[in-house]
Amino acid sequence: MENRTIEQVVRRARIRHFTKKLLLSLLIYGIAIFYFFPILYMFLSGFKTEQQAVLPKIFFTPTLETFKKVLSDPTMYQYLRNSLFQVIIGTTVSLVLGVPASFVLVFGTLKKPESNNKYFLWFITTILLPPVAVLIPLFTWYQKFNLINTPYGLLMAYVGFHTPIVVWMVHSFFSDLPAEIFDAAEIDGCTRLQQLTRIALPIVRTGIISAALLVAVFIWNEFFLGFNLTGNPTATLPVYMSRFREQQGMFVAQLSASSTIAVLPAIVLGWMTQKALVKGLTLGAVKG
Amino acid sequence: MNKRKTDYKFLLPAVFVVAIMTQVPFLLTIIFSTLRWNLSRPDLARQFNGLQNYLYFLKIEDWRHLPEFYGILWQTVFITGSTLLLCSALGFALALLLDNDVIGINIARTLMLGPFFVMSTASGVIWKTTIFNTTFGWYGVLSKLFGFQPVDLVSYHPLGVIIVLFVWQWMPFFILVLLAGLQGIPQDLIDSMQIDGVNWIQGVVRIKLPLIMNHMRIAIMLGLVFLIKEFGLILVTTAGGPGTRSYTLPYAVYMQVFSANNVGRAGALAVITVALTLLLVNLLYRSIVKRSEMYS
Repeated sequence: MENRTIEQVVRRARIRHFTKKLLLSLLIYGIAIFYFFPILYMFLSGFKTEQQAVLPKIFFTPTLETFKKVLSDPTMYQYLRNSLFQVIIGTTVSLVLGVPASFVLVFGTLKKPESNNKYFLWFITTILLPPVAVLIPLFTWYQKFNLINTPYGLLMAYVGFHTPIVVWMVHSFFSDLPAEIFDAAEIDGCTRLQQLTRIALPIVRTGIISAALLVAVFIWNEFFLGFNLTGNPTATLPVYMSRFREQQGMFVAQLSASSTIAVLPAIVLGWMTQKALVKGLTLGAVKG
Repeated sequence: MNKRKTDYKFLLPAVFVVAIMTQVPFLLTIIFSTLRWNLSRPDLARQFNGLQNYLYFLKIEDWRHLPEFYGILWQTVFITGSTLLLCSALGFALALLLDNDVIGINIARTLMLGPFFVMSTASGVIWKTTIFNTTFGWYGVLSKLFGFQPVDLVSYHPLGVIIVLFVWQWMPFFILVLLAGLQGIPQDLIDSMQIDGVNWIQGVVRIKLPLIMNHMRIAIMLGLVFLIKEFGLILVTTAGGPGTRSYTLPYAVYMQVFSANNVGRAGALAVITVALTLLLVNLLYRSIVKRSEMYS
């Protein structure tokens, strides 16, 4: 013991540190893969044939047959198109309405100084409103005006429910900007619109893109309104996925391929937003 | 004055659209909830019947046999409460784990975040067919391999299944927020902790947890807002069954509209759902504000 040199002690400590790190890494990777496993297995099973997918297996020879079959199905194609329509138009309109509103709630002058805050709180309370609270009147209106069979009915509902989310998320990004730059721009003869498009938007660009991606994910995944306010020609992908609920463990490959198509875009978009997600969704109360 | 006018031009379109699509329908729902209105009985005129629809659900005639509503209310609170509790506890543990600096930690963090973005109907059918199925799913195959008889979890433990899936979907969000909190703790505080010889458990329970308590509360509040309105996952996994054993309030509203066709009663249930949401959020929000004031 006494003969140990300093080098030996240091090396020992290093080895111990290294093994500890290694075990910790293995534990972390193990948990992460286990947690992600249902999605991973779904991705894998999409590349199986129906016969291969009957019993759980991880190793198999992959084939694109099931994906081809699913994508050549005209109904699947229609659901996909409906979903894309809702996501693209819905997100765009929500941004066009929400971003300017959020901008004047941070920097604008309304009737009373406290009005800004009041309007902002009003937007927040509409986020708390569960969609069941609006379902019945919307459903009766849509039946009466036959909006069930056009995509615009659902689109209006999505814009109504997601504009407050845009206002909410973008608010925390605008609040980071100093008010002085807009006062200075005002003196230089910049209109409000120019202040927004020329000064504010370029600075908070990443924040707005993340808000847009997150709203896109929310609309893409939304089920309750999509299920109750659409008919067969206008239903979206989550509704399509819900139709697999009755089959008792059958058609696993087909289910997996379809859900991969339904799930993958949202996961990829979601991963791109993860930094801004924390800040945007926690009202900036929490640093991201 | 002119400036103010343009400011309102920026604000009012959004206010108008949101009001038409959310507030006006909600006010109408409140009005509907006071009407006797059954879509399958067009022979009966729509008429005002006061609080009858509310009393139908809330009135207790015999304390030994509570009306169905209280079961549904309890299930809603139980599912939401257990999910939030599990998400907080497990989410904190996993956030601590993911706060370690090992190679490829970002890949692990990204993988753990995945389930949060999966649409609930897809995660419901995926779990139901590839995992919970007693003959073809992983659960069924693995339990037979180890000599157990797999039971149909979806019918025997409907609430458990729903809670597991909710936790799977929402824990990533908790991890994300709590991890942001843990990484916001200043490094010199952690260094001085080590110099003072604080052991790991003390460090976690006495120092780190109190510091990120506000992150925890915010995660719980947002989780509550989104979980209490969840509908798709329940529809695809248990469909509220067996019987009404896994109904939640939103699911009960849906059944009142589309199965019982009773607009008045559905309206009353919807209003109760909103009231419950606002009450719970308000309680949580107050505790957040109180804490924030304490710190600042």
